[in-house]
Amino acid sequence: MFNGLKKLVNTLTLSELRTGMKITVKELVNTKITVQYPEEKTPISPRFRGLHALRRYPNGEERCIACKLCEAVCPANAITIESEMREDGTRRTTQYDIDLFKCIFCGFCEEACPVDAIVETQIFDYAFESRDGSIMTKERLLEVGNDNEQAISKARSEDSKYR
Amino acid sequence: MVEIEIDGQLVNAEPGEMVIAVTDRESISVPRFCYHKKLSISASCRMCLVDVEGAPKPQPACSTPIAEGMKIHTQNEKAVASQKAVMEFLLINHPLDCPICDQGGECELQDVAVEYGSDVSRFSEGKRIVAPSDIGPLIQTDMTRCIHCTRCVRFGNEIAGIMEMGATGRGEELKIEPFLAEGITSELSGNMIDVCPVGALTSKPFRYELRSWQMSSIESIARHDLVGSNLYAQTYKGNVKRVVSGDNDAVNETWISDRDRFSYEGLSHENRLLSPQIKVEGQWKEVEWDVALDFAVKGLNRNILNSRNMAKLGGLASNTATLEELYLMQKLLREMGCENIDHRLNVKNLNNTIHLKSTMALADLEAVDYGLIIGANLRLEQPMINHRLRKAQLSGANITALNVKDFDYNYKVKSNAIAPSEIANTLAGVLKILLDKAQQELPEYLLAVSPNKQTVELANELLEADNSVLILGEHLINNAQASSISNLTAEIAKLTNSTTLNLTATANSIGAQQMGFVPNSTGMNTNEMFEADMCAFLLLDIYPEYDFHHSATALSALSKNDVFVISLNSFSNELVSQYSDVMLPMAAMFETSGTHMNIDGKMQSFSAAVSAPGEAKPVWKILKVLADLLELPGFHYENSAKVMEGISHQSVQSHEHDTSVNLGDRTTLVETIWMHSPYQSDVLLRHADSLSVSKIGQINTASMNASTAKILSLSDKDSYLGVPVEIIETMADQCVFVSSNQATNIGGLK
Repeated sequence: MFNGLKKLVNTLTLSELRTGMKITVKELVNTKITVQYPEEKTPISPRFRGLHALRRYPNGEERCIACKLCEAVCPANAITIESEMREDGTRRTTQYDIDLFKCIFCGFCEEACPVDAIVETQIFDYAFESRDGSIMTKERLLEVGNDNEQAISKARSEDSKYR
Repeated sequence: MVEIEIDGQLVNAEPGEMVIAVTDRESISVPRFCYHKKLSISASCRMCLVDVEGAPKPQPACSTPIAEGMKIHTQNEKAVASQKAVMEFLLINHPLDCPICDQGGECELQDVAVEYGSDVSRFSEGKRIVAPSDIGPLIQTDMTRCIHCTRCVRFGNEIAGIMEMGATGRGEELKIEPFLAEGITSELSGNMIDVCPVGALTSKPFRYELRSWQMSSIESIARHDLVGSNLYAQTYKGNVKRVVSGDNDAVNETWISDRDRFSYEGLSHENRLLSPQIKVEGQWKEVEWDVALDFAVKGLNRNILNSRNMAKLGGLASNTATLEELYLMQKLLREMGCENIDHRLNVKNLNNTIHLKSTMALADLEAVDYGLIIGANLRLEQPMINHRLRKAQLSGANITALNVKDFDYNYKVKSNAIAPSEIANTLAGVLKILLDKAQQELPEYLLAVSPNKQTVELANELLEADNSVLILGEHLINNAQASSISNLTAEIAKLTNSTTLNLTATANSIGAQQMGFVPNSTGMNTNEMFEADMCAFLLLDIYPEYDFHHSATALSALSKNDVFVISLNSFSNELVSQYSDVMLPMAAMFETSGTHMNIDGKMQSFSAAVSAPGEAKPVWKILKVLADLLELPGFHYENSAKVMEGISHQSVQSHEHDTSVNLGDRTTLVETIWMHSPYQSDVLLRHADSLSVSKIGQINTASMNASTAKILSLSDKDSYLGVPVEIIETMADQCVFVSSNQATNIGGLK
């Protein structure tokens, strides 16, 4: 009886319409949160685990020393490494492949790396056009590292105090 | 036996044995670095400290003898605290460069540090750096990682017998380094890699290649000598990447020779024969297996079978083959009606051979109190047998050698430089004295022999000993009185109750003999085959410039136009491709399953560690299919183990040997013994690159003394038979000992 009456009053006074319009009017003057992707991007945590990269030292020397800890720790067996002694006597990889189809982006490789060579960047919007594009070779990984070194080191320094 | 208590449990132990031996037996874990069961105790690392009730301080388990009523705690607060303290000290100067260290993943320091190390180091001062020293092509050093356990030093001193590594300096300056610039030259040096608990000594050919967890370890047997050392072939993606030693106290204890450890390198050599090839109108053509086998069968039919001329077919095999391979090949040939079968390729005169039976078990060799080595450089030719004899010498045995040269023995040997032609006379002299003492009748050939000082000494030594061994070595194989030496040795052994070892043929030659891979009374031996007018040959892994004594005769016999030659080879070779009509690629060591028979007659079977490269196939398969194509009965084997079952039913026919003794005199002015250097003894070794650049692999000398050189008018700048001359005074007069790492100059040596 009482509920029926309340419903009737609400209907006659257009209450629901007014509630809706109130939000519309409020959002008309509020700051907008929609971003114009891809021109605009939302902020990303420095710990974000996106596309992989192999880093270099400032003098251009590749960091990776072929210790194979990332390969050993990888739960998805996505990493394949072959190593040898380079001419200058240092331990280096001859092959460093990450299969992005296998990778589960857990970040263990990054955790295991003793020299911060393999990292996961904040890049998430990548695509490939052939199936074998999923294999990130050593050259491609180093290229990602070269192109994004600034962003990578910035993310690392931001996060360093929590490590 | 006394009863002691370890960690609360009652344990029986011998009084006097060390605590760590008991804990190891009872599987109670005590961390250690310097203790090694086969080496002496140094108690220098202090990692094995345990708490012994009643002792004021923790005691090292490796050097604390068991006593009645002892109560030991390995895991109480006191023990663990002292172990942790020791760990902290050990890590002070350790670089912790595990990510680039080859030992990472199989490192004793790493394992113990996980349990006893601290997360954070309290040591903030600078660490010590030790410059690495180049100690040869086999072992890589990173001495900064060394924790001074001295296992390698003790290994060199106690097992290898040459103290090449040592601790120099004191305190902070203490370094483990080789004493000599030439580095490590021992034939057992590779074991230092196995004993090193950290990454200070690692394998050089394997450097930076793989982690231990990436490889699978497959048990195998080494086939380069008469011992058949147990080892593990570690493989990755179908390739043998490293070899480490296995444990077998009856065979190789826990050591393996460098030859066994590094020969795997040859497997991936570019010279491997990878596909079946047939020769059509003088041109080699790569073909499928069925085409090649068909070609082989047609060739045999044309040259032999159609004319029913089995006496014109010959089968020769290298003694590196497995028992199964040798058995199948002789079965195949005998089923065809051919009796010309032989594996003795490098003997000058096959009617005059060393046919002495070996009666000594390998492990018993340690217990002898007298050893007489005749014609062998045991250290390099049979390293593991030498190691046993060395142990005997160290525990008091007298060892005497009758060799053409005073070789570099690694234990005390009374060495007599003696010309090959004098050996039979010397043994005859010894036998005469022994027979006189036993008041037995002298055979006719001894009547003219007059004892001299040397023979009297030898006879006395033999008579004084209770447990003596007579060892005949490879250098006697082409001795002009080989058969007489063999018979005299057997007589002496009978009179003195000595045991004997016949080391004149190596690898699987004992197995070859047992499998009947020798001609019977109607068949021809190797040398006779090459003299006869043959029509076809079946050859198993033969390389004429290394394997034959009469290489020139062999080559001309094989190269004749109307001779059809089927060659099974693991490596391609120019001469083989000159004379062969079909070349079939075969699996090499580690690539085939099979069995090796060692000097004890012990048969050790092994499985294939990897599959053969390219089109190469295991020999037992090739022979089986060949037999099927020839429509021979009884070749329905599914695997090599089935072949082995057939072998166990095989009765071995014994051969009659000439028992006469002829004591000839020196016939030539200068006597020459030609040997391949130890790392050239089979085809796989010849392709192992690191071994061939090592000190032993580089041996290439014709040794003679100054007076011999004068007779030959040579100086140490010249070469003799193409081998550089070395003038040393420890040679017998008018003798040359050639140890060559080159192929035989075919036609050069008669």
